[in-house]
Amino acid sequence: MTADARVVRWTAVGVGIALGVLIPAFLSNFLRSLASDAAIAGLIVLSLVVLTGLVGQISFCQYSFAAIGAFTVGSLVAGHHWEFWLALLVGVCFAAAVGVLVAIPALRLSGLFLAILTIGVALFFDRFLLAPGTWDSFSGGTSSWRPGRPSFFGIGLRGEYAFYLFVFGILLVACLLVWNLRTGKTGRVLRAVRESEVAASTVGLNLTAWKLTAFGISAALAGLAGGLSAVRVGSASAGSYDFLHSVIIAAIATVVGVGAITSAPVGGMFLLFVPEIMRAWTPFSTQWFPFVTGILLIFQLVYAPDGAVVDSERRIMRRLHPPAPPPTADDTATPERVLARTST
Amino acid sequence: MTGLLDLYDVSIRFGGVQALLDVSLHVRTGEIVGLIGPNGAGKTTLFNCITGVLRPDTGRITYDGRDLAGVKTHRRARLGIARTFQNLQLFGRMTVLENVMVPIDAFSPRTPVGDAFRLPTARFEERKAEERARALLYFLDLLDVAELQAADLAVGMQRRLELARALASNPDLLLLDEPAAGLDARETAELADVLFRIREQFGVTMLLVDHDMALVMRTCDHIYVLDFGRIISEGPPEHVRDDPQVIQAYLGEVA
Amino acid sequence: MVLAGVSLLPGFTVIGIVLGGIYALAAIGLVLIYRVSGVLNFAHGAVAMFSTFVAYQVSVKSGLPGWLGLIAAIAVGIGIGFIIERFTMRPLTGRPALTKVVVTIGWLLVLQTLAGRIWGQNAYHSPVRLVSKSGFRLIGTSVVVGYDQLTTVIVAVVLALATAAVLRFTTLGASMRAVADDPESARLWGISVNRVTAASWMVGSAMAAIAGVLITPLINFDTFSLTLVVIDAFTAALIGRLTSLPYAVVGAGLLGLAQTYPRAFFNTSGVSEAVTFGLLLIALAVLFRPGARKLRMA
Repeated sequence: MTADARVVRWTAVGVGIALGVLIPAFLSNFLRSLASDAAIAGLIVLSLVVLTGLVGQISFCQYSFAAIGAFTVGSLVAGHHWEFWLALLVGVCFAAAVGVLVAIPALRLSGLFLAILTIGVALFFDRFLLAPGTWDSFSGGTSSWRPGRPSFFGIGLRGEYAFYLFVFGILLVACLLVWNLRTGKTGRVLRAVRESEVAASTVGLNLTAWKLTAFGISAALAGLAGGLSAVRVGSASAGSYDFLHSVIIAAIATVVGVGAITSAPVGGMFLLFVPEIMRAWTPFSTQWFPFVTGILLIFQLVYAPDGAVVDSERRIMRRLHPPAPPPTADDTATPERVLARTST
Repeated sequence: MTGLLDLYDVSIRFGGVQALLDVSLHVRTGEIVGLIGPNGAGKTTLFNCITGVLRPDTGRITYDGRDLAGVKTHRRARLGIARTFQNLQLFGRMTVLENVMVPIDAFSPRTPVGDAFRLPTARFEERKAEERARALLYFLDLLDVAELQAADLAVGMQRRLELARALASNPDLLLLDEPAAGLDARETAELADVLFRIREQFGVTMLLVDHDMALVMRTCDHIYVLDFGRIISEGPPEHVRDDPQVIQAYLGEVA
Repeated sequence: MVLAGVSLLPGFTVIGIVLGGIYALAAIGLVLIYRVSGVLNFAHGAVAMFSTFVAYQVSVKSGLPGWLGLIAAIAVGIGIGFIIERFTMRPLTGRPALTKVVVTIGWLLVLQTLAGRIWGQNAYHSPVRLVSKSGFRLIGTSVVVGYDQLTTVIVAVVLALATAAVLRFTTLGASMRAVADDPESARLWGISVNRVTAASWMVGSAMAAIAGVLITPLINFDTFSLTLVVIDAFTAALIGRLTSLPYAVVGAGLLGLAQTYPRAFFNTSGVSEAVTFGLLLIALAVLFRPGARKLRMA
C-alpha cells in the first residue's frame, strides 16, 4: 500500500472514531442507548466478518452464541452475585466452547448443509434450551435475569453516555484484534482453507484445528456481544436472541459486506438506526425493517455481490492507489543468500 | 532396499474399478523418478495415496523408513512431503506472495493470540515468512507478479507458482502431478531446467508424473510405467523407451 | 404419568402420521427445487406461510369455501415461485450456491414481514378448514380420526404419488430428471433448462402452499411458526439426502411421529423442536459421510 493510501485510511479511521465518540455526546439518552446497541450489534457483525469473511461460512445462529454470553452473565451476576468481569469472561469462553461444539459436525459439511445446521442450532436454542422449564437455572425460566451495570475501574457505567463509550471502546479493540488476525498468519491460513481445502492440507495445515479455531473466535465475539447486551438492557430474555435476529444480522452483514472490518460499525448502525430513520422520516413503521433488509439483500446480491462497504472501500482505494509498478527485488539480501539462510 | 519413499504392493479399488493393483515403487534420496502411463492409469490416485488423501485398501507406504498408515495429510506435509496438482489447486483469490507464505505459516509456531496482539514473535515470523516467500518467487521468476491474484496469472505462471508453494514447505520429497500440462514446448523445456535447478538448490527428491515423454525422458533417473493400475515396466529412461510392452500400452496409444 | 402417556399413543400416532404427510409435501417441493435448480430454498416455509395466509384471507376472513382458499393459495404459491426463480435466481446463474441460498433468506425476510404487516404478527389465527371438523372412530379402537386428518393424509399420499408419476411418465418429468442429473447435457438435448427450472420452482412452491394450508389446524398458526416449517421440511429432505423423493417421504413420516410421541410423556415446550434438531444432526452426520451412496430423485 502506498504511503498516501495509508495516510487516507488512518485519517478516515481517526475521523470515524472521533465522530463515534463526539456525536452521541449531543444525543438524547434514548439515542445513546441505541448507539450502545449498535456497537454491540457491530460485534456480532464482526463475528460474521471472521466466520463468513475469512472462512466463507454463513451462520444463522450468531444470536444463539450471543444468548450464551447474555445468560451466563445474567445468571452469574443476578443469580449468583458474581463480579461482572468474571462472568463476562466465563460467558465468552462458554460461547466459544459451544461454537467449537457446533463446528464439530460442521467439519464434514459443505457450506449449504452447515447453513441448515446453524438454523437447527438457532431453533434448538430458541425453542428448547432457552424455553422456560428446560434449564431454568441458566435461562431464568419465566422471569428474566436482571444483571446490574458494572463499573469500569471505579467509573460507574450507569449513565448512557458512559456506557456507550465503554461498549464503543470494546468494539474498537475487538475490531483492532480482528484486523490483526486478518492481516497476520491466521487470516492468511483461513483464507487458504476457504480457497482450497485439499491444497491447504497438503501444505501442512490442520483443517480441523483451523476451522474449529475460526468458529471459536466467531462465537466468542458473539458471546461478548451477548454479555454486554445483558447489562445494556439490564435483563436477558430469550426473545432478544431468537432465530429471526440471527437471520437479520446475517442479512445485514451480507449487505454491508463481510470483507472489511469497517462493516462491523456500519452494520451495527444499520441495524439500529435504519429502523429509527424509517419511523421518523418515512410512512413505514420500524416493523417494516426486515422487509427492507430482505429487499436490499436480494438486490445487492444480484447487483453488487461483494457488499456495499467492501465495494465502496475498493472504489476509494482504487482511486487513491492505482495499480503499483512491478516491485523490484530487494538488493540488500540476494535471494540465494536468503534461501541458503532460511531453507536449512 | 529402503529409499526415501517406498510403496509395497499398494492396491485400491473404487466400486468395480481396480485403480491400483500391487504397485511397488521406490524413490531414493536425490533421484528424480518418473511415473508415466496413459490417462486413467491411476497416477493421480497413487499421488493421493502417498499424500494421504486416499487410503489404500492393502499394501504399505513408508517414508524415510516410517510407515505412513494412519498419518493424516497435513502431518505428511510436516514429514517433508509436498506436491503440486494436475488441476491447479492454487489459493485463487489470494496474492501470489500469500500463496507462497501459507506453507511457511503452516510450519511457523504463530498462534491466533500472537497475531491478534501483534506480539513481537508474530511480527518477526511475518517478516521472515515474507522474505523467504519473496526469495522463492525470485527463484521461480515470479517476483514481478507477487502482488497479483493467483487466479489472474497465465497457466505457465500458475504452474510455477504451484512449484514455489510446494517448495515453501521445505520438502524432502516433491510430488509433481503433470507440471507440464497446459504448457507450450518452450515453457516445457524451461520447466526441465527449473526442475534441475530445484534439485541443485534445495536437494529435493522428486516423483514426477507427466504425459510429456520428452520432459520425463530428459529429467528422470528412473521411470515407472503404470497401465490399468499396474506397473508394467520400470528402469532407466533408455530401457523403458525400448520396452515393447510400454510402446504398446502407452506410446502405441499416442501414435 | 407414564401409563397415561402410553394410553395416548394410538391417538398420537394418527396425529404423527398426519403431520408426517404434511412434512412430506413440503419436503417434496423442497427436493424438487433443489434437484432441478441446485438451490436450497430457505424461503420454502415462508412461501408456504404467505400462500396459506392468502387462503386464510379468502376462506376465513371473506367467508368463502375452504377449497377456494386452497386454490387461491396454490395460485399465489405458483406466482411467488415464478417470481423468485425468474427475477432473482436466473440472473444468478453460474454464481455460488451459497449466494443463491442467501437470496432465498432475503425472500424469507420479505415474505415474513409482509405477511406480518398484513395479517398481524404472532397472533392466533383460526385455521383454514377444507372439510368439517367431525370425525369417525377407527373400528375396534377408541381412536377418533378427524375427516380433516383423513383428507390431509389422502392429499399428501395422492400428491406424492402424482409427483412420482409425473417425474416418471411425462415429458416435463423426464426433462426435470435430465436437468437434475446434468444441466449441460440436458441443454444439448434441446431441453429448455430455464423453463424446466421455472417449472420446478412453481410446482415446488405450489406443494409448499398446499402443505401450509393443510397444517393450519394442527399448529399454532401464525406467520413465524409456518415459516419455520422449512426446518421440518429440511430434516425430512435430508433423510432422503436431498435427492430421493421416496426417502424424503419416509423421513417425513418418521419426523412426524418422532415429534408427536414425546408429547405423550413430557409437558416441556420445545420437545418437538429438540427432537427435530436431533434428527437433523443424525441425518447430517450419517448421510453426509464422505463416500455415502448416491441416491436417485425418483
